Amino acid sequence: MGRLLLVWRLATRDIKRRRVQSALLLLMIVTTTTTLTIGLALHQVTDSPFARTRAATRGPDIVAEIGPDANAGRNLGRQFAPLVRAPGVAATGGPYPIGFVQLTGRHTNVLAETEGRDVAPAAIDRPALTAGSWISPGGAVIERGFADALGLHVGDRIDLNGRAFHVAGIAVSTAQCFYPVSSPGVIWITRGDTRALASSAYPLGYILDVNLHDPNSAQSFESGSAATAFFNATNNDTKSLMSSWQDTEQQDFKVVSVDQKVLLIVSTLLALLAIASIAVVVGSRMAEQTRRVGLLKAVGGTPLLVAVVLLAENLVLAFAATALGVALGQLIAPVLTNLGNGLLGTPPTPALSGQSVLEVAVVAVSVAAGATVVPAVRGAHTSTIRALNDPAHPPRRRPALIALSARLPVPLLLAIRLVARRIRRSLLTAASMTIAVMMVVAALTLQHNDEVRNRVAVVGTSTVAGRVTHLVFLLSAILIALAAINAIFTTWATVIDAQRPTALARALGATPGQITAGLTTSQLLPALLAACVGIPLGLALYQLAGGHVSEASPPVLTLLAVIPGTLIVVAVLTAIPARIGANRAVAEVLRSD
Amino acid sequence: MIEPNASVLSARGLSKEYGKGAALVRAVDDVRLDVARGESVAIVGPSGCGKSTLLYLVGGLERPTGGTVQLAGEKLEQMPEARLARLRRHALGFVFQAFHLVDELTALENVELPALLAGASPGKARRRATELLEQVGLEDRAEHLPSTLSGGQRQRVAIARALANEPAVVLADEPTGNLDSAATTEVLRLFEQLHAGGQTLIVVTHDERIAATADRLITMRDGAFVDETQLTGGTARSITEIAGLEG
Repeated sequence: MGRLLLVWRLATRDIKRRRVQSALLLLMIVTTTTTLTIGLALHQVTDSPFARTRAATRGPDIVAEIGPDANAGRNLGRQFAPLVRAPGVAATGGPYPIGFVQLTGRHTNVLAETEGRDVAPAAIDRPALTAGSWISPGGAVIERGFADALGLHVGDRIDLNGRAFHVAGIAVSTAQCFYPVSSPGVIWITRGDTRALASSAYPLGYILDVNLHDPNSAQSFESGSAATAFFNATNNDTKSLMSSWQDTEQQDFKVVSVDQKVLLIVSTLLALLAIASIAVVVGSRMAEQTRRVGLLKAVGGTPLLVAVVLLAENLVLAFAATALGVALGQLIAPVLTNLGNGLLGTPPTPALSGQSVLEVAVVAVSVAAGATVVPAVRGAHTSTIRALNDPAHPPRRRPALIALSARLPVPLLLAIRLVARRIRRSLLTAASMTIAVMMVVAALTLQHNDEVRNRVAVVGTSTVAGRVTHLVFLLSAILIALAAINAIFTTWATVIDAQRPTALARALGATPGQITAGLTTSQLLPALLAACVGIPLGLALYQLAGGHVSEASPPVLTLLAVIPGTLIVVAVLTAIPARIGANRAVAEVLRSD
Repeated sequence: MIEPNASVLSARGLSKEYGKGAALVRAVDDVRLDVARGESVAIVGPSGCGKSTLLYLVGGLERPTGGTVQLAGEKLEQMPEARLARLRRHALGFVFQAFHLVDELTALENVELPALLAGASPGKARRRATELLEQVGLEDRAEHLPSTLSGGQRQRVAIARALANEPAVVLADEPTGNLDSAATTEVLRLFEQLHAGGQTLIVVTHDERIAATADRLITMRDGAFVDETQLTGGTARSITEIAGLEG
């Protein structure tokens, strides 16, 4: 018990003593665990969005339609009778009147399909509202994919065939494919409103929702005798259609799979970036810990006690990071999935399985263990005096870079020598920045492709690509934020690691401005490499995600602008930690050695 | 322009305080100091008496709480950090107890560093560094890393580095504090040569042997000067003879 208390005290006191470093380490692990949580949550929700939506909306197994026609309303009961009375049918909903209308809004004038529904919820096909409320006379509910494409929100005013309506709600359904897979888009209004909008130019049609005792037999029902009888009863003078829930799922999947592909690629990139970030953090942590190992051994700690203290210290941070990361990830994931499509991407209650939480915890604990093992083993094999005198991993000598830097202005001289001291850290920084640049380039290419498409497209028809672009932009923002935190941390790690040489340089006559410029430039060099490598890799990423760079890659000047853009962003991000580092009290640093 | 024998460095009412209230510590307390061009001053006193702090204050590495410092005709206390750094480049050379050599640079590269920071051409900086290493007797160790040099050799490299920009004053903080007797002798000989060549030196030490080689000996206690002695011997006799290290 006494030993446990000692370990706890040593671990927590060290965390408190180095608050800034501990907070930064915590921030980096939290970022990783958040990223991982988002990735796992996205995987869960994009796994079976159609099934989720179908269950939530009591989706029909079969939808039969008599297309809009002047004759469609005649003998309606007789026409649908073969389906209503067919063996295997459990229940039916409708028939509901449907019709084509011209939808006009502020910047919109498109064809839409209205479906007349009851104000009370139906037993089959109950569209799930993602915003607002269900229909009322004069109040329309718009299918989500369609609303997204037109930029419509709850409360907006629209005209249907010249009659004013307000958008009462936004909803999803699996009775038909979401827009734009199914076009024109669907608007639910009351039966009365549907009939009132009909005219000889816009005649009515009807749909019937059918549920079977065995939903899996929907496709065989579609080609069975009941379906044949329905087509025989209707096809004389109208256009009739029938589709099973499997047909709809297949069509929707073509679009959902694009989202999933984008999410898969981006989550892989996020994971790579997180690994690069953690490697930087753990690396600098390990370098610092060598002296602490020496101190603990000097006061009588055994190698085992030293290892346990280090592990406890890192575990405290790892568990805190897991809890924070899971909480943040669960908050952010629905924002991403809501962007998804005309299907329900968000489960009713955000549920991350116990296994996923465990996976996040395993990653966090692995980081903690990684940060413990190397200094503990190194400490056990290093003499106490040497560990005390050798606080950091000695820097590497790079003669060629040192010779080159002697010919350059002072900030570049300092920057190159700082990079040369810790070249692996600089390469990791370059790797993480490359990932962010790749995403920026891919997003720019998507954006450019959208612009090209919109020049020739009818309003709203490019919404699949538009939605993917939106998704990519949001994920790019997360990646860039992670890379930004990484850049700040790396600069801070460089400041800490280089505090003696920079203090010495100041004692020898370097100005704080030169030191700030040197520290910032030491981050700009990997950023330059990242920008140069990231542009072609970003285009390759776009191609890999299913795009065609050859069709519409952004102008060369736009791509080249990524290089100065990256450098400016990195310079701004690193300037503050670099300035703090440059203004540290020289005497204090030199005296502490 | 500074007159011959005029003070190259002077301080008036110089003080440095740390902490507040009951925890207030006066590391340097109302010090008055004048150092003439070519003069060698040794400051002695027990550990923690404020010797090193004084050195950092007159070297512009630390800002005083009160008082003034004038170096090469320029007042330091109000000087912006950048201008102070530029002044330090040409007017001051530092020698530290812990050497403070850059680990990944060779002896030659360490010595040429101040010249490069001052904007000298790489060729000029390299030639000057080579000359200085010859002067301190380490021309054969020019390509060695600090980790492969003895303590005395490291300090000689540090002294060569301090001279790189031909400073008006060399400030040395316990230059023999980490050295054995043989290495101390090497360093003392170097200081003897520097002094003989007219280099102004301020050496903080609690090694009586090195103190005995100075023109003037100042004793510090609790941040203040408590005694000041003009040494008659000065550098007229051999430094190693004074220090009792011959033979």
